Amino acid sequence: MSKNSARRRSATALALAPILALLAGCSMGSSGSSNSTDGNGGSAGGAQQTLTIDSPDYPSTLDPGLQYDGSTYPVYRNIYDQLLRRDPDSLEPVAWIATSWEQSSPTTWQFKLRDDVKFSDGSALTARDAAFSLNRILDKDLGSPQFANFSAVKQASAPEDHLLVVETKAPSATLLSYLTTLSIVSETYAKKVGKAGLNEKPMGSGAYTLESTRAGSEVTLARRDTYWGKKPSISKVIFRAVPNLATRVADLQSGRAQLVTTLAADQANQLKSSTANKVLAVPTERVAYLGLNVLGNTPTKDLKVRQAVAAAINYESLIKNLVGGYAKPVGAVLTPLAFGYPGKAANFAYDPAKAKALLAETGNPNPVLNFPASPAYNAQLLQAIQSDLEAVGFKVNITNTDQATYLKKVQSPAHDWGSIRFGRWSCSCLDADGVIYPLFHTGTVWSSYSNKDFDKAVEAGRTNIDPAVRKDAYNTAFSILNRDLPGIGLYQESAIYGASKDLQWKPDAVESLYVDEMTLGGKG
Amino acid sequence: MSMLRRAFASGSARYIAGRVGQAALQLFGVVTIVFVVLRLSGDPARLLVPQQATAEDIARIRTQLGLDASIWEQYLQYLSKLPRFDFGYSYVQGRSAVDLISERLPYTINLALAALLLSMLVGIPVGMASAYFRRRFLGRALMPFVLIGQSMPAFWLGLLLILFFSVRLRWLPSTGFDGLTSLILPAITLASLSMATLARITRSSFLEQLNADYVRTARSRGAGTARVLMGHVLRNSAIPIVTLLGLEIAALLGGAVITETIFAWPGIGQLTVQAIQARDFPVVQAIVIFVAIIYIGVNLLTDMLYAVIDPRVRLAGSGEQV
Repeated sequence: MSKNSARRRSATALALAPILALLAGCSMGSSGSSNSTDGNGGSAGGAQQTLTIDSPDYPSTLDPGLQYDGSTYPVYRNIYDQLLRRDPDSLEPVAWIATSWEQSSPTTWQFKLRDDVKFSDGSALTARDAAFSLNRILDKDLGSPQFANFSAVKQASAPEDHLLVVETKAPSATLLSYLTTLSIVSETYAKKVGKAGLNEKPMGSGAYTLESTRAGSEVTLARRDTYWGKKPSISKVIFRAVPNLATRVADLQSGRAQLVTTLAADQANQLKSSTANKVLAVPTERVAYLGLNVLGNTPTKDLKVRQAVAAAINYESLIKNLVGGYAKPVGAVLTPLAFGYPGKAANFAYDPAKAKALLAETGNPNPVLNFPASPAYNAQLLQAIQSDLEAVGFKVNITNTDQATYLKKVQSPAHDWGSIRFGRWSCSCLDADGVIYPLFHTGTVWSSYSNKDFDKAVEAGRTNIDPAVRKDAYNTAFSILNRDLPGIGLYQESAIYGASKDLQWKPDAVESLYVDEMTLGGKG
Repeated sequence: MSMLRRAFASGSARYIAGRVGQAALQLFGVVTIVFVVLRLSGDPARLLVPQQATAEDIARIRTQLGLDASIWEQYLQYLSKLPRFDFGYSYVQGRSAVDLISERLPYTINLALAALLLSMLVGIPVGMASAYFRRRFLGRALMPFVLIGQSMPAFWLGLLLILFFSVRLRWLPSTGFDGLTSLILPAITLASLSMATLARITRSSFLEQLNADYVRTARSRGAGTARVLMGHVLRNSAIPIVTLLGLEIAALLGGAVITETIFAWPGIGQLTVQAIQARDFPVVQAIVIFVAIIYIGVNLLTDMLYAVIDPRVRLAGSGEQV
């Protein structure tokens, strides 16, 4: 073997690297189905208004019958129409595809639908499509994670072209709330393309239609000229997945994005001094709370210990220092936005002297509290709670595990998960039923509490339609909760967005991102 | 190819066959361990359902995903599908795990090769220069930069680059894909560590060779500096450099979790994080097996490459006396 040939081989190997690089470059360029090559997507005010929105995750699916999470539904809700929408101010369910509705019996609802709505393939949207969309989620074979949202529904049917009938198993007070989350797919199209097709090539009747996707990174939607509603001012919207918070802010500052979601207080404060950008924050229906284990063999089964926990926490300081003021105090494990918020709220107040006195009364001034946690929660916040509790005599052990393990632990039916846990709860329903029923009703996966009177009250709240009766039921339920303290409301969370000053948009409490409600450059 | 053929004929074939067998066994071990460990680490069904889901809702999803069967049944079923390259479907996205990986792979390969090229083009010459000029200013001045490159964490360097080049100067995109310019910042971030490691390895390997007798001999025979360095010293220093490059290729192809996250680069690294967080078992399993195949394959290739570069390795591998 000559030296020359060996040298040649090394040279070949070295030469191969850039060629491979080039090949990879080609395949990357062609792998995305993207044809959204109009620059950085950020030129506000141009003839073609393109809006770029950065969110932490890529949508899990574009099939609106499946996943329901904060990175997924904001995208597909712009492709599909919903049966109802919420009024951005009052948050009440209002007409959208359904123009009016009435109850023909306590368990039967009739919805009249618009007759001028067309899917993007030109076919008309009818009540059959709406009924199919709902029944599809209820179909156990689909295995939809949204099943829980509609589990009160027995079935949906379409006796006439534009008349949808929804039957519930029992009277349901939250049906309308949940129907604001129902996106309508075309029955014919869904049956033709199946589950995979609906994800890859969604086809709806909404203001936007899918233009392209780039796996794991961006989804581009284009405005539909044949949309039945008001013509949106933004012609193209690019939803991009940018998991790193600091990068999302940098994207906004460099003009690559005009709207970035899921900011924290630090980043919001950083943006406040910006001349080109602004902070949009809105109190949401999400409540931060502490769950206390009443049923397990732990010090918190003693009411005095739970009262001491409630008195030991410096609520004001948590809101001011740990969430940067982007939160509001609450008097229940519920936000005032939700139906059923108690007329007589609890006074969760910081009183360390009272906490110490209560612990002294129990005979054990230094009880040990086990505090399971996961990285999904702000570690500094949990440490602040730990420090507040330790200041009055508790010994608090925080045990961190990943979210899946954490859930398995705290949802254990043996109630052996520890003493206290932190949680953030949102039901997208703006109703006490979606919060305190799953959290505290006997036997639910989250509940480590049991009280017959409370159960009876929340059951009455769930199955009565009359708002006055429901209001009474929830007042009773909260008076029991605030006496027994199986949970302590910490604060009402805000959703924080960073936006270009060119963007005109008012975020809402249920964190919808309807692009048809946004304008760029204030041009309306 | 004649050298490889000779290597096989001289007994290396047995050695390589043995290594391939070993690799298959390692892969089986990886499949089994990742399968069991994942199933000990939490319930994906609980992460898929809305918060207000009942125990029945969770049970329904578990049945749907086949997680209600015993771990043995699940394992045997999984193994039976592997020969057909059926790694299952993502619990979250409902798409085939292989599809998910293959659509992310071009991004990862692209970034990995750009970073590798950058680290080779900078790391090796810097290492050579700092060894050759070790007693002069240049040799001393280069090493602190190498140290900085090696000790600067990617999340910090990446953000600094974004702040400077994207936010302040607006020269380069912070995220997204607008042609080759999008590759520059993530490639520099990803390459900084391997660049520095490569420079250090090249330097120490070079220093060792520069004092060797054959260098003096070559010089005395009138060979010029360039010929001595490129033709003799570089070739003899190649073994540690090739070893390192092999490992770097494997690590880079396995996905650069931090760099991909900072630059929103949709490669294997980001997919891994998302899949682990969601306990998307089929996707995590497929990624781990894929990365294991790359590591095992690259190690195998590196071993074979040694034989090409250095005949002593070949002879030792074949059991012959040197």
